[in-house]
Amino acid sequence: MHERLDNCLRERRARLDLTQAELATMVGVSRKTINTVENGVFIPSTVLALRLARALGTSVERLFQLSE
Amino acid sequence: MSSKSPVEIADQVSRKRAFLVAAAAVVFLSHVVARPFLAGGLDTAHHARTDLWAINAVLLLAILATGGFLLNSRKVRVLLNDEVARSNYRTAVVAGFWVAMTASMGLFVVPAFQGLGAREAVYIIVSSSLVAALLTFSLLEYRAHRDA
Repeated sequence: MHERLDNCLRERRARLDLTQAELATMVGVSRKTINTVENGVFIPSTVLALRLARALGTSVERLFQLSE
Repeated sequence: MSSKSPVEIADQVSRKRAFLVAAAAVVFLSHVVARPFLAGGLDTAHHARTDLWAINAVLLLAILATGGFLLNSRKVRVLLNDEVARSNYRTAVVAGFWVAMTASMGLFVVPAFQGLGAREAVYIIVSSSLVAALLTFSLLEYRAHRDA
């Protein structure tokens, strides 16, 4: 089973007026990682998903959804 | 004193790394193709070339294994080798493994290669798999930076 993981990272980040680099600094990863997660190229680990959700003030479930 | 943040420095170094790894792989491959170890006997010149090849191969393996750029600060190195880079590294190593398996089976099965000695076989397998791993890593890193 190879499901796609949708996310609203870009929208959430834009709402908070954060750049990829700023979010990357907050989470402690590279900007490349933020970029690949936003584009759906890379599925983050649970730890990274939790850190992203915390940095954006939301929950993992709101940030990531399995595509229908 | 640099005013750039570690994330910005890591971003720049990572882009350079993708390019330099590909360039190193192409240069290594061109040397392998231009100076085939298989041509001619094992005279002194050939031994010197294979020694140089082995040194290059070990250096490239070290770059692949460490993510390169050990001169950067620890904070930048952590960012350079974060989740995406480690995932790309694993994919690259898997690609190198399958190229090594394919090359090995080819050397074993194809009649034209059955007279090769162990050193020649190692030369072909290591060269092909190392180049495949480096190019795969470089391509994946390049793609990760794209569409930013």
